Amino acid sequence: MIVIRVGELADHLGVHRNTVRNWINGGKLPARQMAGKRYLITENDFARLCREFGIDRSSLKLKYLPGSPVMSREMTCQEKDVAEIGGRSARLLPDADWGDACVTCGSCAGACPISGVDGMDPRKAIRMAVLGREEDLIASQWPWKCTLCGKCEEVCPMNVEIVAFLRRVRGLRDRKKVPGSLQKGVLMCLEKGNNLGIPREDFIALLQEMGREMRDEGYPDFEVPIDRPGANLLVTLNSKEAFAEPAAMKSWWKIFSAAGESWTLPSQCWEGVNWGLYTGDDEAMKGIVGNLVANMVRLGCRTLLLPE
Amino acid sequence: MSRWFQEEAKHFKVISVIDLLVDYLQKGRIRVDSSRHPELTTYHDPCNYGRNSLKAFGQGYFEEPRWIVRQCAPQFVDMFPDREGSYCCGAGGGIWATPFKEERVYHGRLKARQLKQSRARWVITSCHNCRDQIVSSLCKEYDLDLGVKYLWELVADSLVTGPAVS
Repeated sequence: MIVIRVGELADHLGVHRNTVRNWINGGKLPARQMAGKRYLITENDFARLCREFGIDRSSLKLKYLPGSPVMSREMTCQEKDVAEIGGRSARLLPDADWGDACVTCGSCAGACPISGVDGMDPRKAIRMAVLGREEDLIASQWPWKCTLCGKCEEVCPMNVEIVAFLRRVRGLRDRKKVPGSLQKGVLMCLEKGNNLGIPREDFIALLQEMGREMRDEGYPDFEVPIDRPGANLLVTLNSKEAFAEPAAMKSWWKIFSAAGESWTLPSQCWEGVNWGLYTGDDEAMKGIVGNLVANMVRLGCRTLLLPE
Repeated sequence: MSRWFQEEAKHFKVISVIDLLVDYLQKGRIRVDSSRHPELTTYHDPCNYGRNSLKAFGQGYFEEPRWIVRQCAPQFVDMFPDREGSYCCGAGGGIWATPFKEERVYHGRLKARQLKQSRARWVITSCHNCRDQIVSSLCKEYDLDLGVKYLWELVADSLVTGPAVS
Protein backbone atom coordinates (compact mmCIF):
# COMPACT_ATOMS: atom_id res chain seq x y z
CA MET A 1 0.00 0.00 0.00
CA ILE A 2 1.18 3.47 -0.79
CA VAL A 3 0.26 6.63 1.04
CA ILE A 4 -0.48 9.60 -1.19
CA ARG A 5 -1.58 13.16 -0.80
CA VAL A 6 -3.88 14.44 -3.52
CA GLY A 7 -1.92 17.65 -4.06
CA GLU A 8 1.45 15.92 -4.27
CA LEU A 9 0.23 13.21 -6.62
CA ALA A 10 -1.36 15.83 -8.88
CA ASP A 11 1.93 17.72 -9.02
CA HIS A 12 3.86 14.58 -9.98
CA LEU A 13 1.39 13.70 -12.71
CA GLY A 14 1.05 17.24 -14.01
CA VAL A 15 -2.73 17.31 -13.57
CA HIS A 16 -5.00 19.44 -11.44
CA ARG A 17 -5.66 18.16 -7.91
CA ASN A 18 -9.40 18.16 -8.65
CA THR A 19 -8.68 15.68 -11.42
CA VAL A 20 -7.16 13.28 -8.92
CA ARG A 21 -10.12 13.82 -6.62
CA ASN A 22 -12.49 13.06 -9.48
CA TRP A 23 -10.64 9.81 -10.23
CA ILE A 24 -10.96 8.81 -6.60
CA ASN A 25 -14.60 9.83 -6.25
CA GLY A 26 -15.54 8.26 -9.56
CA GLY A 27 -13.82 4.96 -8.75
CA LYS A 28 -11.22 5.25 -11.53
CA LEU A 29 -8.52 5.32 -8.87
CA PRO A 30 -9.50 3.01 -5.97
CA ALA A 31 -8.29 4.71 -2.82
CA ARG A 32 -9.19 4.79 0.79
CA GLN A 33 -9.16 7.97 2.81
CA MET A 34 -6.94 8.22 5.89
CA ALA A 35 -6.46 10.79 8.60
CA GLY A 36 -4.70 13.98 7.54
CA LYS A 37 -6.00 14.34 3.95
CA ARG A 38 -4.03 11.30 2.85
CA TYR A 39 -5.16 8.33 0.80
CA LEU A 40 -4.03 4.75 0.53
CA ILE A 41 -3.74 3.21 -2.95
CA THR A 42 -2.43 -0.15 -4.09
CA GLU A 43 0.95 -0.64 -5.70
CA ASN A 44 -0.68 -1.92 -8.88
CA ASP A 45 -2.83 1.17 -9.28
CA PHE A 46 0.15 3.37 -8.58
CA ALA A 47 2.28 1.50 -11.12
CA ARG A 48 -0.49 1.86 -13.73
CA LEU A 49 -0.63 5.61 -13.21
CA CYS A 50 3.15 5.87 -13.53
CA ARG A 51 3.04 3.94 -16.84
CA GLU A 52 0.22 6.07 -18.22
CA PHE A 53 1.97 9.31 -17.38
CA GLY A 54 5.50 8.11 -18.14
CA ILE A 55 6.89 8.78 -14.67
CA ASP A 56 10.01 7.13 -13.25
CA ARG A 57 8.84 5.66 -9.98
CA SER A 58 12.31 5.58 -8.47
CA SER A 59 12.47 9.37 -8.62
CA LEU A 60 9.58 9.67 -6.15
CA LYS A 61 9.81 9.45 -2.40
CA LEU A 62 6.99 7.16 -1.37
CA LYS A 63 5.58 6.07 1.93
CA TYR A 64 4.70 2.39 1.98
CA LEU A 65 2.49 0.57 4.40
CA PRO A 66 2.63 -3.19 4.74
CA GLY A 67 -0.58 -4.96 4.00
CA SER A 68 -2.78 -6.78 1.57
CA PRO A 69 -3.05 -5.16 -1.85
CA VAL A 70 -6.75 -5.95 -1.89
CA MET A 71 -8.97 -2.91 -1.53
CA SER A 72 -11.79 -3.87 0.72
CA ARG A 73 -13.58 -3.13 3.91
CA GLU A 74 -10.86 -5.07 5.70
CA MET A 75 -8.87 -1.90 5.39
CA THR A 76 -10.22 -0.80 8.75
CA CYS A 77 -7.58 -2.76 10.62
CA GLN A 78 -4.96 -1.08 8.46
CA GLU A 79 -6.20 2.26 9.62
CA LYS A 80 -5.39 1.38 13.19
CA ASP A 81 -1.81 0.70 12.16
CA VAL A 82 -1.71 4.08 10.53
CA ALA A 83 -2.86 5.73 13.74
CA GLU A 84 0.00 4.09 15.61
CA ILE A 85 2.54 5.20 13.10
CA GLY A 86 1.32 8.66 13.98
CA GLY A 87 3.24 8.05 17.19
CA ARG A 88 0.65 8.16 19.93
CA SER A 89 2.45 7.22 23.09
CA ALA A 90 1.17 3.87 24.32
CA ARG A 91 3.39 4.02 27.40
CA LEU A 92 2.12 7.39 28.56
CA LEU A 93 -1.46 7.12 27.41
CA PRO A 94 -2.32 3.47 27.92
CA ASP A 95 -6.02 4.11 27.96
CA ALA A 96 -7.56 5.73 24.91
CA ASP A 97 -9.61 8.00 27.17
CA TRP A 98 -6.57 9.76 28.53
CA GLY A 99 -5.13 11.78 25.75
CA ASP A 100 -7.81 11.26 23.15
CA ALA A 101 -10.46 12.69 25.44
CA CYS A 102 -8.57 15.99 25.50
CA VAL A 103 -10.41 18.60 23.47
CA THR A 104 -7.46 21.02 23.69
CA CYS A 105 -9.69 23.62 25.29
CA GLY A 106 -6.82 24.98 27.38
CA SER A 107 -8.67 25.16 30.71
CA CYS A 108 -5.78 23.29 32.32
CA ALA A 109 -3.26 25.74 30.93
CA GLY A 110 -5.35 28.59 32.29
CA ALA A 111 -5.56 27.07 35.75
CA CYS A 112 -1.95 25.92 36.03
CA PRO A 113 0.11 28.27 38.22
CA ILE A 114 3.28 27.52 36.27
CA SER A 115 1.90 27.77 32.75
CA GLY A 116 4.54 29.42 30.64
CA VAL A 117 7.49 28.22 32.69
CA ASP A 118 9.88 26.70 30.12
CA GLY A 119 7.21 27.52 27.52
CA MET A 120 5.14 24.61 28.80
CA ASP A 121 1.70 23.96 30.26
CA PRO A 122 -0.43 20.86 30.94
CA ARG A 123 -2.16 20.98 27.57
CA LYS A 124 1.14 21.00 25.73
CA ALA A 125 2.32 18.05 27.79
CA ILE A 126 -0.75 16.04 26.80
CA ARG A 127 -0.36 17.03 23.15
CA MET A 128 3.29 16.00 23.19
CA ALA A 129 2.30 12.52 24.33
CA VAL A 130 -0.53 12.25 21.81
CA LEU A 131 1.69 13.40 18.97
CA GLY A 132 4.55 11.07 19.75
CA ARG A 133 7.01 13.47 21.33
CA GLU A 134 7.27 11.20 24.29
CA GLU A 135 11.05 11.28 24.62
CA ASP A 136 11.13 15.09 24.56
CA LEU A 137 8.55 15.17 27.29
CA ILE A 138 10.40 12.67 29.47
CA ALA A 139 13.62 14.66 29.02
CA SER A 140 11.87 17.94 29.90
CA GLN A 141 12.37 19.34 33.41
CA TRP A 142 8.89 20.80 33.38
CA PRO A 143 7.02 17.77 34.78
CA TRP A 144 9.36 18.03 37.78
CA LYS A 145 8.72 21.73 38.27
CA CYS A 146 5.02 20.96 38.42
CA THR A 147 3.93 20.36 42.01
CA LEU A 148 1.23 17.84 41.01
CA CYS A 149 -1.21 20.22 42.68
CA GLY A 150 -4.12 19.11 40.51
CA LYS A 151 -5.56 22.53 39.59
CA CYS A 152 -5.48 21.45 35.93
CA GLU A 153 -7.42 18.28 36.60
CA GLU A 154 -9.95 20.14 38.72
CA VAL A 155 -11.00 22.31 35.78
CA CYS A 156 -10.67 19.71 32.99
CA PRO A 157 -14.11 19.27 31.39
CA MET A 158 -13.12 15.88 29.96
CA ASN A 159 -11.70 14.43 33.18
CA VAL A 160 -8.31 13.72 31.69
CA GLU A 161 -6.16 12.36 34.49
CA ILE A 162 -3.40 14.88 34.13
CA VAL A 163 -1.73 14.40 37.51
CA ALA A 164 -1.41 10.64 37.11
CA PHE A 165 -0.20 11.24 33.57
CA LEU A 166 2.56 13.63 34.68
CA ARG A 167 3.57 11.23 37.43
CA ARG A 168 3.92 8.52 34.79
CA VAL A 169 6.10 10.85 32.72
CA ARG A 170 8.35 11.23 35.75
CA GLY A 171 8.41 7.48 36.27
CA LEU A 172 9.69 6.85 32.73
CA ARG A 173 12.80 8.95 33.19
CA ASP A 174 16.11 7.16 33.71
CA ARG A 175 16.52 6.92 37.50
CA LYS A 176 19.99 8.45 37.23
CA LYS A 177 18.42 11.60 35.83
CA VAL A 178 15.81 12.17 38.51
CA PRO A 179 16.39 15.79 39.62
CA GLY A 180 17.77 16.74 43.01
CA SER A 181 17.92 14.33 45.90
CA LEU A 182 14.58 12.61 45.29
CA GLN A 183 15.99 9.35 43.98
CA LYS A 184 18.69 9.34 46.65
CA GLY A 185 15.97 9.73 49.26
CA VAL A 186 13.96 6.85 47.80
CA LEU A 187 16.97 4.53 47.83
CA MET A 188 17.95 5.72 51.29
CA CYS A 189 14.46 5.05 52.59
CA LEU A 190 14.46 1.53 51.16
CA GLU A 191 17.92 0.83 52.61
CA LYS A 192 17.98 2.74 55.91
CA GLY A 193 14.29 3.26 56.65
CA ASN A 194 14.12 7.03 56.24
CA ASN A 195 14.65 9.49 53.40
CA LEU A 196 17.63 11.22 54.97
CA GLY A 197 19.46 8.11 56.13
CA ILE A 198 19.46 9.03 59.83
CA PRO A 199 21.06 6.10 61.70
CA ARG A 200 19.04 4.26 64.33
CA GLU A 201 21.39 5.17 67.22
CA ASP A 202 21.27 8.88 66.41
CA PHE A 203 17.52 8.75 66.14
CA ILE A 204 17.11 7.08 69.54
CA ALA A 205 19.53 9.55 71.15
CA LEU A 206 17.55 12.43 69.67
CA LEU A 207 14.25 11.05 70.96
CA GLN A 208 15.71 10.63 74.44
CA GLU A 209 17.00 14.19 74.39
CA MET A 210 13.55 15.44 73.37
CA GLY A 211 12.03 13.29 76.11
CA ARG A 212 14.24 15.10 78.66
CA GLU A 213 12.99 18.43 77.33
CA MET A 214 9.40 17.26 77.73
CA ARG A 215 10.08 16.39 81.38
CA ASP A 216 11.58 19.85 81.91
CA GLU A 217 8.48 21.41 80.36
CA GLY A 218 6.14 19.99 82.95
CA TYR A 219 5.53 16.41 81.85
CA PRO A 220 7.51 14.76 84.67
CA ASP A 221 6.68 11.14 83.82
CA PHE A 222 7.20 11.43 80.09
CA GLU A 223 9.20 8.75 78.29
CA VAL A 224 9.30 8.38 74.50
CA PRO A 225 7.73 4.96 73.88
CA ILE A 226 10.19 3.47 71.39
CA ASP A 227 9.25 0.10 69.85
CA ARG A 228 6.56 -0.59 72.42
CA PRO A 229 4.72 -3.81 71.46
CA GLY A 230 0.95 -3.81 71.63
CA ALA A 231 0.57 -0.03 71.53
CA ASN A 232 -2.61 1.14 69.86
CA LEU A 233 -1.08 3.83 67.66
CA LEU A 234 2.09 3.54 65.59
CA VAL A 235 3.39 7.00 64.80
CA THR A 236 5.42 7.83 61.71
CA LEU A 237 7.40 10.99 61.01
CA ASN A 238 8.50 13.26 58.24
CA SER A 239 12.28 12.78 58.37
CA LYS A 240 12.59 16.56 58.24
CA GLU A 241 11.20 16.63 61.78
CA ALA A 242 13.97 14.45 63.12
CA PHE A 243 16.60 16.24 61.07
CA ALA A 244 15.74 19.92 61.24
CA GLU A 245 13.10 20.65 63.83
CA PRO A 246 12.83 17.87 66.41
CA ALA A 247 11.14 20.23 68.85
CA ALA A 248 8.08 20.23 66.61
CA MET A 249 7.49 16.56 67.49
CA LYS A 250 6.69 17.65 71.03
CA SER A 251 3.38 19.16 69.91
CA TRP A 252 2.17 15.68 69.14
CA TRP A 253 3.63 14.20 72.27
CA LYS A 254 1.73 16.73 74.39
CA ILE A 255 -1.50 15.88 72.60
CA PHE A 256 -0.91 12.14 73.08
CA SER A 257 -0.20 12.71 76.78
CA ALA A 258 -3.35 14.78 77.20
CA ALA A 259 -5.46 12.19 75.39
CA GLY A 260 -3.93 9.32 77.35
CA GLU A 261 -3.10 7.58 74.08
CA SER A 262 -1.22 4.30 73.93
CA TRP A 263 1.34 5.03 71.22
CA THR A 264 4.79 4.12 70.01
CA LEU A 265 7.51 5.26 67.63
CA PRO A 266 9.42 2.54 65.80
CA SER A 267 13.21 2.85 66.03
CA GLN A 268 13.56 1.91 62.38
CA CYS A 269 11.55 2.57 59.24
CA TRP A 270 9.61 5.40 60.83
CA GLU A 271 9.51 7.48 57.66
CA GLY A 272 5.95 8.32 56.75
CA VAL A 273 6.72 10.35 53.64
CA ASN A 274 6.94 8.27 50.48
CA TRP A 275 9.00 9.93 47.79
CA GLY A 276 8.14 7.13 45.39
CA LEU A 277 4.94 9.12 44.91
CA TYR A 278 6.99 11.99 43.52
CA THR A 279 9.41 10.04 41.38
CA GLY A 280 6.59 8.04 39.79
CA ASP A 281 8.10 4.81 41.06
CA ASP A 282 5.42 2.35 42.15
CA GLU A 283 7.88 -0.41 42.96
CA ALA A 284 9.84 1.76 45.39
CA MET A 285 6.61 3.07 46.85
CA LYS A 286 5.47 -0.44 47.50
CA GLY A 287 8.78 -1.31 49.18
CA ILE A 288 8.53 1.67 51.52
CA VAL A 289 4.91 0.90 52.41
CA GLY A 290 6.02 -2.70 53.01
CA ASN A 291 8.47 -1.51 55.68
CA LEU A 292 5.68 0.29 57.50
CA VAL A 293 3.44 -2.77 57.28
CA ALA A 294 6.28 -4.88 58.71
CA ASN A 295 6.51 -2.48 61.66
CA MET A 296 2.79 -2.75 62.29
CA VAL A 297 2.98 -6.53 62.25
CA ARG A 298 6.16 -6.66 64.37
CA LEU A 299 4.75 -4.41 67.11
CA GLY A 300 1.14 -5.57 66.82
CA CYS A 301 -0.29 -2.05 66.57
CA ARG A 302 -3.87 -1.42 65.56
CA THR A 303 -3.64 2.04 64.02
CA LEU A 304 -1.04 3.58 61.74
CA LEU A 305 -0.72 7.36 61.90
CA LEU A 306 0.71 9.11 58.87
CA PRO A 307 2.67 12.27 59.57
CA GLU A 308 0.75 14.74 57.49
CA MET B 1 -1.62 0.04 51.02
CA SER B 2 -4.81 -1.96 50.65
CA ARG B 3 -3.75 -2.49 47.04
CA TRP B 4 -0.41 -4.08 47.83
CA PHE B 5 -0.83 -5.59 51.28
CA GLN B 6 -4.40 -6.75 51.38
CA GLU B 7 -3.90 -9.53 53.89
CA GLU B 8 -1.88 -7.52 56.41
CA ALA B 9 -4.06 -4.45 56.03
CA LYS B 10 -7.04 -6.32 57.46
CA HIS B 11 -5.44 -6.21 60.89
CA PHE B 12 -5.05 -2.48 61.29
CA LYS B 13 -6.34 0.82 60.01
CA VAL B 14 -4.47 3.76 58.58
CA ILE B 15 -5.44 7.26 59.68
CA SER B 16 -4.35 10.79 58.98
CA VAL B 17 -3.47 13.36 61.60
CA ILE B 18 -6.78 15.11 60.88
CA ASP B 19 -8.80 11.95 61.61
CA LEU B 20 -6.98 11.57 64.91
CA LEU B 21 -7.46 15.16 66.08
CA VAL B 22 -11.16 15.13 65.19
CA ASP B 23 -11.54 11.88 67.10
CA TYR B 24 -9.80 13.24 70.21
CA LEU B 25 -11.80 16.45 70.21
CA GLN B 26 -15.17 14.85 69.52
CA LYS B 27 -14.75 12.19 72.18
CA GLY B 28 -13.53 14.77 74.64
CA ARG B 29 -10.18 13.05 75.08
CA ILE B 30 -8.58 16.45 74.73
CA ARG B 31 -10.00 19.89 75.38
CA VAL B 32 -8.86 23.16 73.91
CA ASP B 33 -9.03 26.75 75.08
CA SER B 34 -10.33 29.04 72.36
CA SER B 35 -9.19 32.23 74.09
CA ARG B 36 -5.47 31.79 73.42
CA HIS B 37 -5.70 32.55 69.72
CA PRO B 38 -7.92 35.63 69.47
CA GLU B 39 -6.39 36.87 66.21
CA LEU B 40 -7.80 36.40 62.75
CA THR B 41 -6.82 32.96 61.46
CA THR B 42 -7.14 31.21 58.11
CA TYR B 43 -6.56 27.67 56.88
CA HIS B 44 -4.52 26.63 53.86
CA ASP B 45 -5.79 23.49 52.08
CA PRO B 46 -2.82 21.27 51.19
CA CYS B 47 -3.34 19.76 47.73
CA ASN B 48 -2.77 16.24 48.98
CA TYR B 49 -5.29 16.48 51.80
CA GLY B 50 -7.93 18.20 49.70
CA ARG B 51 -8.14 17.93 45.95
CA ASN B 52 -5.84 14.97 45.43
CA SER B 53 -7.25 12.98 48.33
CA LEU B 54 -10.73 13.55 46.96
CA LYS B 55 -9.59 12.17 43.62
CA ALA B 56 -7.56 9.23 44.95
CA PHE B 57 -9.69 8.12 47.90
CA GLY B 58 -13.06 9.75 47.26
CA GLN B 59 -12.70 11.85 50.40
CA GLY B 60 -11.12 15.27 50.70
CA TYR B 61 -10.37 16.83 54.07
CA PHE B 62 -11.96 20.26 53.77
CA GLU B 63 -14.41 20.73 56.64
CA GLU B 64 -12.66 18.68 59.32
CA PRO B 65 -9.51 20.82 59.60
CA ARG B 66 -11.59 24.01 59.54
CA TRP B 67 -13.68 22.66 62.38
CA ILE B 68 -10.51 21.93 64.37
CA VAL B 69 -9.10 25.39 63.70
CA ARG B 70 -12.35 27.05 64.82
CA GLN B 71 -12.24 25.15 68.10
CA CYS B 72 -8.90 26.81 68.84
CA ALA B 73 -9.19 30.10 66.98
CA PRO B 74 -12.80 31.30 66.62
CA GLN B 75 -11.87 34.36 64.55
CA PHE B 76 -11.71 32.47 61.30
CA VAL B 77 -11.66 33.62 57.69
CA ASP B 78 -11.41 31.60 54.47
CA MET B 79 -9.31 32.53 51.47
CA PHE B 80 -10.73 32.54 47.97
CA PRO B 81 -10.61 30.23 46.10
CA ASP B 82 -10.35 27.52 48.72
CA ARG B 83 -11.16 23.84 49.31
CA GLU B 84 -10.97 21.93 45.98
CA GLY B 85 -10.15 25.14 44.16
CA SER B 86 -7.36 26.16 46.53
CA TYR B 87 -4.08 27.38 45.16
CA CYS B 88 -1.07 25.19 45.83
CA CYS B 89 1.58 26.70 48.12
CA GLY B 90 4.07 25.97 45.33
CA ALA B 91 6.15 23.39 47.15
CA GLY B 92 4.35 20.11 46.41
CA GLY B 93 5.35 17.17 44.25
CA GLY B 94 8.73 16.78 45.92
CA ILE B 95 10.02 20.08 44.58
CA TRP B 96 11.77 20.81 47.89
CA ALA B 97 14.19 18.05 47.02
CA THR B 98 14.96 19.45 43.57
CA PRO B 99 17.03 22.47 42.51
CA PHE B 100 14.01 24.36 41.13
CA LYS B 101 13.81 27.05 43.78
CA GLU B 102 12.94 29.90 41.45
CA GLU B 103 9.97 28.03 40.05
CA ARG B 104 8.85 27.11 43.56
CA VAL B 105 8.80 30.74 44.68
CA TYR B 106 7.16 31.87 41.44
CA HIS B 107 4.45 29.25 41.83
CA GLY B 108 3.77 30.49 45.37
CA ARG B 109 2.94 34.03 44.26
CA LEU B 110 -0.77 33.13 44.03
CA LYS B 111 -0.88 31.74 47.53
CA ALA B 112 1.02 34.74 48.85
CA ARG B 113 -1.52 37.09 47.29
CA GLN B 114 -4.39 35.12 48.80
CA LEU B 115 -2.79 35.16 52.22
CA LYS B 116 -2.23 38.89 52.07
CA GLN B 117 -5.81 39.56 50.95
CA SER B 118 -7.24 37.41 53.76
CA ARG B 119 -5.75 39.87 56.32
CA ALA B 120 -5.28 36.90 58.62
CA ARG B 121 -2.63 37.11 61.30
CA TRP B 122 -2.16 33.34 61.43
CA VAL B 123 -2.35 30.62 58.79
CA ILE B 124 -2.80 27.02 59.85
CA THR B 125 -1.99 24.05 57.65
CA SER B 126 -1.53 20.32 57.99
CA CYS B 127 1.32 19.64 55.58
CA HIS B 128 5.02 19.98 56.27
CA ASN B 129 5.86 21.14 52.76
CA CYS B 130 3.18 23.82 52.77
CA ARG B 131 4.20 25.09 56.18
CA ASP B 132 7.87 25.28 55.23
CA GLN B 133 7.09 27.00 51.96
CA ILE B 134 4.98 29.68 53.65
CA VAL B 135 7.44 30.23 56.51
CA SER B 136 10.71 30.21 54.67
CA SER B 137 9.79 31.37 51.17
CA LEU B 138 6.46 33.15 50.87
CA CYS B 139 6.77 35.27 54.04
CA LYS B 140 10.23 36.44 52.99
CA GLU B 141 9.88 36.81 49.26
CA TYR B 142 6.44 38.44 49.36
CA ASP B 143 6.75 40.38 52.64
CA LEU B 144 3.90 38.64 54.42
CA ASP B 145 3.29 39.62 57.99
CA LEU B 146 1.74 36.50 59.48
CA GLY B 147 2.58 33.49 61.58
CA VAL B 148 2.31 29.86 60.45
CA LYS B 149 1.39 26.89 62.58
CA TYR B 150 0.82 23.21 61.99
CA LEU B 151 -2.69 22.11 62.79
CA TRP B 152 -1.38 19.94 65.64
CA GLU B 153 0.85 22.76 66.85
CA LEU B 154 -2.22 24.97 67.17
CA VAL B 155 -4.04 22.22 69.05
CA ALA B 156 -1.07 21.55 71.35
CA ASP B 157 -0.75 25.26 72.10
CA SER B 158 -4.44 25.41 72.97
CA LEU B 159 -4.58 22.30 75.17
CA VAL B 160 -6.52 22.85 78.37
CA THR B 161 -5.22 19.89 80.31
CA GLY B 162 -2.20 21.35 82.02
CA PRO B 163 1.00 19.37 82.04
CA ALA B 164 0.44 18.42 85.66
CA VAL B 165 -2.81 16.62 84.83
CA SER B 166 -1.24 14.36 82.26
